[in-house]
This record gives sequence, structure tokens and C-alpha cells, in this order.
Amino acid sequence: MRDFAVLGLFDSADALMAAIPKVKEKQLGRLETYTPYPIHGMDEALELRRSPLGGMVLGMGILGALTALGFQYWISAVDYPIVTGGKAPGSWEAFVPIMFEIMVAFATFTAGLGMLLLLNKLPFFGHPILTAKAMLGITRDRFALAIEADPELDTEAAKAALNAVGALDIEVLTRPEQGPFLSADFILRTTSGIFIACLVAGLAMYGAVKLMPVLSPVSHMLNQPRVNAQQASSFFADGRAMRMPVQGTVARGYLPFGVASPEAAAALVNPLPRTPEVLAMGRQAFTVRCAVCHGPAANGVGSLGSAYGAKPANLQAPQFLAYPDGKILWAIVNGKNAMPSQAADLTEEQRWAVVHYVRALQRAQNAKDEDIP
Amino acid sequence: MKAETSTMNAEFPDILREIPLLEGSVTSGSLDDQVLGVTDRKPPRRWFVAMAFTSTLMLLGFGFIGYTIYTGIGVWGNNSPVFWAFDIINFVFWVGIGHAGTLISAILFIFRMRWRNAIARFAEAMTIFAVMCAGIFPLIHVGRPWLAFWLFPYPNQRAVWPNFRSPLLWDVFAVSTYFAVSAMFWYLGLLPDIASMRDRTANKWRKLIYTVISLGWHGSARHWQHFEKAYLLLAGLATGLVLSVHSVVSFDFATSVVPGWHMTIFPPYFVAGAIFAGFAMVVLVLVVVRESMQLKNLITLRHLEVMNKVILGMSCLMGYSYAMEGFTAWYSQNVYLHHTFLNIIGGHYGWAGWLTISCNIFIPQLLWFKKCRTSYFWMILVAVAVTVGMWFERFVIIVISLHQDYLPSAWRLYHPTLVDFGILLGSFGLFFTLVLLFARVLPVIATSEVKGSLPGSQPRPGGEHA
Amino acid sequence: MRTDSASKTPTVLLGLLILGGLGVAASWFSAGPERFWANWILWFLFYFTLALGALFLVALEHLVAARWSVPIRRLPERIATLLLPVVPVALIALGAVPVLYPGSRPAALQNPLLAGKAVWLGLPFFSLRTVLCLVLSLLALAVFVRGSLRQDASRDPGFNVRARKFAPAFMAIFAFVMTALAFDWISGLTPEWYSDIFGVYLFAGGFLAGLAATTLTLIHVQGQGRLRDVTGHHRYNLGGFLFGFTVFWSYIGFAQYMLMWYGNLPDEVLWYRDRLEHGWHGITLALAFVHFLVPFFALVTRDAKGDPRRLRWVAMLMLGAHALDLYWLVFPVLGKGVLFSWPELSFAVFFLAGGLLWIRKALTWGEDMPVGDAFLRQGLEFRL
Repeated sequence: MRDFAVLGLFDSADALMAAIPKVKEKQLGRLETYTPYPIHGMDEALELRRSPLGGMVLGMGILGALTALGFQYWISAVDYPIVTGGKAPGSWEAFVPIMFEIMVAFATFTAGLGMLLLLNKLPFFGHPILTAKAMLGITRDRFALAIEADPELDTEAAKAALNAVGALDIEVLTRPEQGPFLSADFILRTTSGIFIACLVAGLAMYGAVKLMPVLSPVSHMLNQPRVNAQQASSFFADGRAMRMPVQGTVARGYLPFGVASPEAAAALVNPLPRTPEVLAMGRQAFTVRCAVCHGPAANGVGSLGSAYGAKPANLQAPQFLAYPDGKILWAIVNGKNAMPSQAADLTEEQRWAVVHYVRALQRAQNAKDEDIP
Repeated sequence: MKAETSTMNAEFPDILREIPLLEGSVTSGSLDDQVLGVTDRKPPRRWFVAMAFTSTLMLLGFGFIGYTIYTGIGVWGNNSPVFWAFDIINFVFWVGIGHAGTLISAILFIFRMRWRNAIARFAEAMTIFAVMCAGIFPLIHVGRPWLAFWLFPYPNQRAVWPNFRSPLLWDVFAVSTYFAVSAMFWYLGLLPDIASMRDRTANKWRKLIYTVISLGWHGSARHWQHFEKAYLLLAGLATGLVLSVHSVVSFDFATSVVPGWHMTIFPPYFVAGAIFAGFAMVVLVLVVVRESMQLKNLITLRHLEVMNKVILGMSCLMGYSYAMEGFTAWYSQNVYLHHTFLNIIGGHYGWAGWLTISCNIFIPQLLWFKKCRTSYFWMILVAVAVTVGMWFERFVIIVISLHQDYLPSAWRLYHPTLVDFGILLGSFGLFFTLVLLFARVLPVIATSEVKGSLPGSQPRPGGEHA
Repeated sequence: MRTDSASKTPTVLLGLLILGGLGVAASWFSAGPERFWANWILWFLFYFTLALGALFLVALEHLVAARWSVPIRRLPERIATLLLPVVPVALIALGAVPVLYPGSRPAALQNPLLAGKAVWLGLPFFSLRTVLCLVLSLLALAVFVRGSLRQDASRDPGFNVRARKFAPAFMAIFAFVMTALAFDWISGLTPEWYSDIFGVYLFAGGFLAGLAATTLTLIHVQGQGRLRDVTGHHRYNLGGFLFGFTVFWSYIGFAQYMLMWYGNLPDEVLWYRDRLEHGWHGITLALAFVHFLVPFFALVTRDAKGDPRRLRWVAMLMLGAHALDLYWLVFPVLGKGVLFSWPELSFAVFFLAGGLLWIRKALTWGEDMPVGDAFLRQGLEFRL
């Protein structure tokens, strides 16, 4: 067990300051003082190096301001440029307040945490002084001068030196034995404690995330005081929430399909020209309404088909290549086998545009050499 | 000549003498026993009575907040066109209360006003509690507070970013930075005091808690050196921050084009008003604290007198601001500004305008008299008036400007509901509950700072300086 | 060698004064009265705000009973005596009112935005306010500076009591004078424009100029071997004030700009448009640099705040920045772009030489320190 330091206690800052130069000249070890409050002139007396905190804080402050400027500029002008309030996306004026705040935040945390963690190496509970008898006075009204091992310490000489300058009380501090702090038992207990804490926290989070969206008031956006489509409602005499169209009226774009049979429909001629706009409209409608089953290439391989169990028609099959336009339209309007009617979702124009698009897909899949221009 | 001047100091009239930092004989040890000893004893009955009262208020407020969250903010009186009302009034009011703490702990520290040492800790604590109270209001005003984290810019699956050109987002940054910095400042100051408590307590559990939160502080010269540097830097940063925070709050109003809001004087005027209101609250609380906790020798009447002088000075600054607002309303020859100003002094809410002006400008003028600055009755009267007046000032700014702006067909009156009042009272309950808890659990006076400024605590200037 | 150059200085200054005066006179005839008056107003405001700023520093000491600044108080007191030569300059400046201030012209009655305040902006009321400003400032000068100079001999602590009691009243006077100057003399150039922070903006710049002049004088005087007992600790405080008020000026200036930019109302942004177009954009940027960025980074570290060499050039820069600020406030109304030629140079030479001559003279008035002030010793003992 080696000695760490010899501690001499004084009852006033004056006595402490008077003792320092006398002890210093004996060069017995590293000098340190422990006091209840900061003493003016202590830095010079102990010849401490200047605290580097100021430079650290200045640097981090500038970094914070630049980070905030860059972050705001990138978000507002590059990644998500939206004009709000008539201000240009990269208007620097609006970035200044947050630049300032982030600068202060960076600088503050550098000053506070930098001082505690980096410079003072706190938290640290293993310093020998903390278990000294003298500690009771040091945080109250006593002033301690310590001669610390550097790296060896002549305990007796140090005691004598402190006696000579009139220390009221002298205490020898021993170096704490290393070991128990990082024992296997400790590590086991700590890790299992952390594990249990994580488990509990994880289960709690899981429960919260599962439950939160369905519990009131979080779920309130789901429970809205209105009636949904197809619901019953006591408000109207007929007990329905939805209204029937007024007698004798037809919604725009939804004229009744006046053709009685697929054979009659075969005679219909596509009224739309084959322009890029029409094909684009057809593609859009096809992608939304048809491609899930018939597949993007209209070959019957859609994402829904396998899951659903049905067998959507392969529109690239020979009988469909020869199908008249009107019969395709008939299928769109009235449905076929398991396929439901699409009439409610596609306007007349869109239906014919889909027919054009299906024809284009068929042509594309069965291209011949002479198609190459 | 030198000998002559030193004797003259005593003969000087009272007006020129330096403020004594404390009364009677105080030593480092007696200071610890007096201040830190409080936490060793059981609280007196009257503390429990006060606690019961304030925590009831607080729970009442929480109840109303729960009701608001469950039902939606339709339970408040806010409606078109007064979309902001009690919630934002209370927010601005509480953020403002906090500013006095930062002023006392940071700005007066930079100016080396050593009298602030005895009251800084309490004022800082009040800052933190006030910002906590303030934070509640925007949080519940968003309607779905569980989604409030959307305010922060983080990469998300919605692929959207917050709008950095919105002053409301600046607020998020300003208030959260303010809270973090205040908490850091407060905790650093507490560190040596908690170490003192750690070393004097005999209770095993308390010793464990104090040991952990004092981080092993042991007051070595090297630690103090970095500590003092950090404290000074933090004070400087907090000084800039305190200016910026209420300026940013004022931007919420001033960047708009609403008449009565779009004023270039708003940023410094809001800061002055915040310090004004905060000092009044600090005076109110300190009067109670020094009486009930036997701290009359540390928080002296001179402390209160100086604080009252600050209140008076701030009141005059507010008077200047009001005068400039009125002058500009006329000087601009702008009918909308003119109309808004007339609403403040004579419209449907004219009573609130005059209440504000009386409480903030006229009543504090009492403090010109030394008798009023040193008498509990008068200083409490003024402090209460200022607190009421500053709350109503925000009422005037928000409700009067909003209820009649450019479009006369949209003019409506505002009627607060019971829930509005309930939450307001609840925030006071929360604030005073936290203050009461703090007064029993942590040292209410920064003992290490006061110790360092006791007479004879520092070594006499040696040969090298003189 | 030093005495040689020192004895030559007044002659050189006098020569510059005469040379500048000739240029000033010539500019009336060749550059026209508008440009002449714009220059005149600039330097009138420069010295008025600078002297008031110095007086404010003195008043601040009395108001909060500060001790550290007692040893250097005589310097701002002497600088504040510039208020005396400002009186004739101000009275002459009233000649600019009919030329440069649209609100005082009969045409203002036809302008619906000005008709309501034509009486306020008219020459009689305008002059009345300026005269009131001068009288109030001279009153404050008499209380603070004459009282302090007399105390050198009398050693009467009653002066401290009087000054302390007068200080709050001075603050009210000061607020009125600064606001009136800002609204009448600067804002009045574009009378449709209004900004209720404008008085504070001018105060921030003026106080900064007063501080800079004090710092510069202190370092100059210390270079001559006077005021030896004033230490780095005192200089550090001055440097700290300079630093703080640089930030304050920027805060006020930016907040005013940002709010107007954000609101984008035509009655406000036109004023800024005038200062961001026709070459003025560069001056605006330069102002941001010399009035904020450069002094901010020059003074941000602890050592810099007390370093005389650093303080000297920063203080000079701040005085220049204040002149540039006023130039930026006044000259855009001429609508002729950025004007800088021999008339401006002559005015600068004339007024700077005159001001320096006055300060040289003022530096001999009274003792270098207020030796009659009982708090001098406490001030000298001041340590950070």
C-alpha cells in the first residue's frame, strides 16, 4: 500500500496561501489544494496552466453556428426546397435565430461537459481525498494543502514540511487498492442489471407502441363524428348514409353503357385517337386498375393473382390478340368471370384509353422484325 | 489623501454606500449549518399546508390538461380570429418569468455584482421551473402532444422537414436551448454545494444520492480553475441567450403583419418586459423565503431594495416602449396601427389595456420612494401588480391585436372558458409546488459562492499587486 | 522626439482644419447644397451621439455606483465636452431642414401619409425639439462634468450624491434626446418610413462610439505616460463593454432588418431597398463587417479585451464604423448612388481635425483622474 499524498489543513485562505510558497520550494512532490470555494490567485501560486476551455468553447461555438447554417440551408434550399411566405428557399435571414441558438447550445455543452468530463475527469468516485477524514472540513470551511506523490512520495519529509508551515492537522492519504471496482461479480451484476432494464424498457416500449394508436385520445383521428360510405344512418328517412342520385340524372362522364351483349359491343370503334397523351392516360389507368392482376405487361402475371388464387387472363394469348376492341371494353365495363366491373372507377375516356394501351402492350410483346424502323 | 478617503466612506450618506452582502456575523461553517442544515430537518407544518394547497392547484391543472388532450382544444375559448389566447399568453408569461433568474445569475455575475450571490441560486431554480411551466402550453396547444417530436428536424419516413423560416420553429430551438443551458448552469453551480451536503449528512441513503449527483467533486485547485472558467463562459453565453430567447418569442408576433404585432421594438421590449416580470416574481418568492426559512441575514432588505430598483428601471424601460408604440401608431399615419392602439386604450378590451399600463408603469413608480422599496407591504403590492400587469400585457398584445385586424367582417370577441382558467391556475400550482420542493431538498443559497465573497474569505492582496 | 512631434501636432491639425474648411466651403458651390447638408448632418450626428455616448458612460457610473470606472471617468467627461462645439454645428444644421427633409416642405400637406404630421415635421417644431435636445444635453453636461471638475478642488462628496440623484433623470433626458435625434434627423429624411426601435438603434451606435473614443483616448494618454495607475483590469472592462455593445448594436440592427424583411410591407422595405440597391449593397455588407464581424472576433477572447494594441485599432475601427453607419443612414436619400469624393473627404478632414483639436484641448482640463472623488481609491484597487 503506497502513500498517495500528505494533507495539511489550514483554517483560512490567508494561511493556505502563505504556506504554499514555503512548501513549494522544498520540491517534495506535486502540490494541490482542496478548498470549499475558489481562491483568488491560486492559479499563479500553484503555477497552473491556463484553462484551455475558452478556446474549446469558441471553436465549438463557431462550429455550432456553421453546422446550424449548413443544416438549415441544406434542408430548406437543397433537400426540401419550398417557398413559404414569399421567401426564397435559401434566405439566410431566417436562419440566424437558430444559428445563434445552436451556437449557444454547442458552446454551453462544451463549457459544461468539457469542464466536467474532459478537464476535471468527473464523475470519479475513487479519488483518495473523498475518503479522507479531512473531507468533512474541505467542503465546509477548511483549506487543505496536499503534497502528492510524483511519482514517489517521501511521507515523513512531507509531514515535516507541512508541520513547519503551521498546518493544524496532518493526514496521510493512501492510494486506493485497485480491483474490487471491476471484479467479476460487479461486472456480472452490472451487465445483468442493464440487461433487465433493457428488457423491461423494450417490453414497455412494445406495449406502448402497440397500444398507443388504438387508445383514446391518440386514436381520435380514426373516430370521427361523420358517417362513412355504405353505413347506416338514422339521419335520413331511408336509413342510408349515402344519397341516391336525383331521379333521372346521370353523373358527368358516367353515361350508362348502352350495349346489351359482348357480341354487340364487338362492333364498337375506339373513338379516341392514338396519341401519346391518350396512351399515357391509358397507362395510368391500366397501372392503377388492371396491372395488379393482369400484370404490367398484360401477360396475366400480376402481383395479386397468385395471392388471390384466381387466374387472370393472359391478354397476350392469341385469342385476345384477335379480340375486337369493343369486347375488351365490354370486359372493362361489365367484368368477366372473377373480374369485377371497373365502370365505377374509370370514366368513358379512360376505358377507351385502356383499350388503346392494351393494344399497345400486345403489339410491344409480339413485335416483329419489320416493326424496327 | 488615501487615508482620508477610507475614513470618509463611513461618513457618506446612505445613497453612496456599498451594499453590505450580509448582516451579522456569518462564517463559512455557520453558513453551511444555516443553509444546508435545512435539508436535514423535517419540514414544518406550514410547509405541508402550502404544499397541499399548491399541489391541489397543480393537480387541478393537470386534470384540465388531461381533459383538453382527451377532448381536443375545442374546450378552450380560442376561435377565429383569436386563435392564440391563454395558451400563448401563459407561455410568453412563464418564459418571461424565467428571464430574471438568468439575468441575476449570469448578467449580474458578468458585471461582478456580488450581492447577486445570495439570491442567484433561487432565481436560477425559478428560471428552470418557469420554463417547465412555459413548455406545457405550446405542447398542449399543438392538439396532439404525443406527436410533438415532429417539431424536431430528424430524417423521417414522411420525407418532410420542418420549416426553418417559421418563427414557431425558432421557438422550439430557443426554448429548448434555454432550458438546457439554464439546467446546466444551475447544476454546475449546485455541484460544490451538493458535495458539501454529501460530506455533512449522516444518513446512508442521502449520502449515496449526494455522492452520485455530486460526481465526486472534491474542490481541488485544478478543478476550481476549470470550474470558474466554465462558469464565466456559461454566464457570458447565458447573457446572449437570455436576449435571444425572448427576442425569438417576440418574433412569433413581430414577423407577422398583424397590426400591433409587427413592431421593430418588440425584441428588446419583450426582453425588458420578461426581466421586469421575472424580478417581480423573484421578489415575491424571496420575501416569503427569507421570512419562513430564517434567512434574513443572508437575503437582506438591501437585496430586496436593489431588486426593487431594477424593477423600477425596467418599468421605466417599459414606459419608453409603450410610449414608442403609441407614438409610432400616430407617427406612421397607418390606419390599422392607429385602430389597434385605440383598441388598447379604449376598445372593448380597453380595461385590459389600462390595467396593463397602470400595473406596469404607474404602480411601480411607487418604488421611487425608499420607504416603498424597503417595506414588505408596498413591495409585495408592486410585485403582484407587475405580475398581473405583465400577464395582461400579453393578453393585450395577443387578444386585442387578433380580435380586430384588417378584415372587419372577421372581427369577433374572445371568451375564455373554465378550462382556460383551470390550466392557468394549474401552472401556478406547478410552479410553486416545484419551488416548495426545491426549498426543502436543495440548498437555496449558493453557499460556495457566498463563502468566497465573505469578508476575509480571500487572501489579502499580497505584495505583487500593490 | 516625441515632444517634437507633439508640438507639431496642433499646427498640423490647424492646417488640416483650414484645408478641410476650404473644401467644405467649396463643396457648397460645386457639389450643391443637398450634398453639403448631407455631409453636415452626418458629422453633426457623429459628434452629438459620440458626446452623448460618453456622457452616458459617466451617467451609468453614477447610476449604478460603479467604482471601477472612477479612475478613467475624466476621459469620457472630457469627451462629453464636445457637446459645446456641437451647439453651433447643430444650429447651422437646421439650415438643412428645408432642403433635405420632405416633411417640412409645403408639398407634404398634399401627401396623405404626411399631412397628418406636417406640423410635427415642420421647421418650427423640428427646431424646437432640436434646441430642447441641446439644452437638456448641456444641462446634463453641467451637472456631471462641471460638477466633477469642481470636485477636483473642493473634494466635496456632495457632488457624488447630486450626480447619483440626477442620473435617473439623465436617463430620461438621454432617452428623449437620442430618440428625437433618430426620429427627426435620420428617420425624418424619409418621413413616410417608421421603425419604433430607431432611437435604440442610434443609442447603440452612439454609445459604442463614446466607448470607443474613451478607450482610444485612454490608450493614447497612457502612451504619453499619464494615467499609469489604470491597469489592464480597467481596460478589460472597457474592452468588455465594447464587445458587448458591438453585439447589442448588431442585435438591434439585425432584428430591425429581419422583421421588416419578413413582414415585407411596402411602407417599410422601401427604406431597405434604398440601401440594398445602386451600389449601397456593398456599403451594407461593409457595415456588417466593420461594425460587427471584425470587432466581434477581434475582442472575443479574454486577452484581447485588455490588450492596448488590439483595443487601439478596434476602437479606431469602431469610430469609423459609426461614421459609416451614419453615412449609410443619411446618404441613400440623395438618390445618387454611393457618393464619396473630395467633398466628403473635406468634411471628414475638417470635422476630424476640429474634433481632435478640441479633444487635445479638453485633455488638459482638470486633473487626469477625478482626484476629489472619494471612490477613486476603490476604483484604482479594482481587480477582475
